[in-house]
Amino acid sequence: MDTFIQLTVDGLTLGSVYALIALGYTLVYGVLKLLNFAHGDVFMVGSFIGFGMLQLLGGSADPVLPTWLLLTTITLAAMVGCAGLGVAVERFAYRPLREAPRIAPLISALGVSFFLANSMQLLFGANPRNYDTFALSGGALYFKGVDIGNVKVPLLRIITIAAAIALMVVLWFLVNKTKTGKAMRATSYDREAAAMMGIDIDRVIVFAFVLGSALAGAAGVMFALRVPTQVSIGFIAGLKGFTAAVIGGIGSIPGAMVGGLILGLAESYTQGYWDTRWSDLVVFSILIAFMIIRPQGLLGRADLRKV
Amino acid sequence: MKKALGLALAVLVTAAVAASAQGRPKAAEASTAVSCNSTLKIALVTPLTGGAGFLGNEQASWAKYAVKTLAKPLGLKVQLVLGDTPVEQGAAVAQTLAQKYVADSKVVGILGPSTSGAVAASSETYGQAGMAHISPSATRTSLTKGAKLEASNAFFRVVPGDYIQGPSDAKFMVDKLKVKKVVILDFQEPYSVGLADSVEGALKKANVSTTRLSAPNTTTDYSAFVTRVPSDADIVFFPTQKPGDAQTFGQQLLEQGKKAKVFGGDGSNNAAEFKLAGSYVSNFAPDITGIPEDKAIIDGWKKDNKGKAVGSFGPPSYGATQVMLQAIKRACVAGKGTIANKRAVLRQVKKVRIPNWILGGEFRWSTKSNDPLNAKFYIFQIQSNGKYKLVG
Repeated sequence: MDTFIQLTVDGLTLGSVYALIALGYTLVYGVLKLLNFAHGDVFMVGSFIGFGMLQLLGGSADPVLPTWLLLTTITLAAMVGCAGLGVAVERFAYRPLREAPRIAPLISALGVSFFLANSMQLLFGANPRNYDTFALSGGALYFKGVDIGNVKVPLLRIITIAAAIALMVVLWFLVNKTKTGKAMRATSYDREAAAMMGIDIDRVIVFAFVLGSALAGAAGVMFALRVPTQVSIGFIAGLKGFTAAVIGGIGSIPGAMVGGLILGLAESYTQGYWDTRWSDLVVFSILIAFMIIRPQGLLGRADLRKV
Repeated sequence: MKKALGLALAVLVTAAVAASAQGRPKAAEASTAVSCNSTLKIALVTPLTGGAGFLGNEQASWAKYAVKTLAKPLGLKVQLVLGDTPVEQGAAVAQTLAQKYVADSKVVGILGPSTSGAVAASSETYGQAGMAHISPSATRTSLTKGAKLEASNAFFRVVPGDYIQGPSDAKFMVDKLKVKKVVILDFQEPYSVGLADSVEGALKKANVSTTRLSAPNTTTDYSAFVTRVPSDADIVFFPTQKPGDAQTFGQQLLEQGKKAKVFGGDGSNNAAEFKLAGSYVSNFAPDITGIPEDKAIIDGWKKDNKGKAVGSFGPPSYGATQVMLQAIKRACVAGKGTIANKRAVLRQVKKVRIPNWILGGEFRWSTKSNDPLNAKFYIFQIQSNGKYKLVG
């Protein structure tokens, strides 16, 4: 039972990161019908922005702010930085191709992904960056926590899961309870009709990129708080975020959340109960299975075809 | 019918072309003789970027220093060129570099490759070209020992292999740490799998209970692996080439309340990244700051590398460079001022002996292999101040 609890906590922590990445994919796909393959690299950039801000604020060993304020500040910095990056990517790499055949922006997205990864490598090198979270507050984030049975859930994991849930709630509120969110949903449903109703489509699309990229930035910081970050993490993280979005239903916000958590748990249980070598195999087999059996995902809606 | 035949023919031709592209192509060997009065090149093939970049950069700094201080007294003009083989990119990069250097007539020798995987991928190419490649850090046993050697006979290393590291690490665990249960994790690449196999075999012979786990080399989050570590395990043997991962793993062990300590191989030897108190690290080099004869070398290196600490990967790199330069000098003497081809240097490598070896004592080659004679591994424990203390 203890192993199950531990693996569940691990899976939820990992799944929270995947869910935030998946939300970015889903938001952009919803309004643009575009798979933004550069999204994983935005996540990577977010982790680096968080690292840079952490160093500016004294580093983990000697921070100038209390721990809670430090973590909030670096996360916000990553979110703002990545939101700006998302706007720039949309403006220069995708907007000019909006009326082009669907393959064009897809290829552009791949190009942006390589551009971001290689630019970061050129600028900052390929060496890993360690937030050294262990040094914060004398290891309190690791040693303090909540007990579930014999399993201790450290503060760091609780913070990761709670922050992800909070961000998802904020996103849900923005999308469902605000005027701009309503415009996003309308655009997602029928872009042309939305434009005809007077909705500024460009503004809606930019908003989607801002939201999605900000979430990826936050995910980057949450990820790097626990493991060293480096330039190469964007690719796999992006793939898994995409997989989570597909499992949940690409274009569905609740679906992306559920998909991320399912993916994180699947990975954790596979590594814990079966064989550590097969976790990626299982994850991508789930993707293939969904594509064949239920392509609209768990909570997505099937495309209607006029007959 | 004609269309079908044409299609079948096209498929056959395509398959034939694809098949001929498989395997390692024979590198175009530069056969031009070079004058010993010209600037000769030696290439250091090492990970300069990526998770193991710390290792490559340290080796590069010591190799540069060796070239700077040792080439001129030998009457040689030597330029060190650097080839990057990040561990995350796999072995293909090493093969590409091998072809490049083999084709360059000015490159008369190779330092490295530094990692066992890169040696296994490229040694055949160097061997076919008769190009000596002396590694300061590739320790996989099967490179020089065993029924099926992974490296060519042009491969040398100035550090002992894992056939020494594995048993000596296991012996330390059994004799000094009195372990009963050990978890061994490999990373599905040549270095860690070989070392893990070696340690596991030695521990099993000593009746220690072992659990074997395997993680992809791209793993960053080890939580699920830590969950599989039994709560009564004494040690997790973690032969990573990325010290940051050893640190992460150790922290996640603490996070989950596991008592096991991390025991890293030589690939995790980096005090800046792996500094978890109580952990162990084995390495093929002692701390040379404790060798009085090395003081002048250390002082000179520090002058060129202000603010940097003497690590354990650099000195073997200095030593490997020293051996290579001596071999080049011998080739020049034998060739009366000309190096006829790369094999001329290769023929001289095994004849080199260094009386005041940077790692202590005298350096000689084993007569039975291209490994050093009487080399050993050293075991360090990380102290609460992050320093590595020699314990075995």
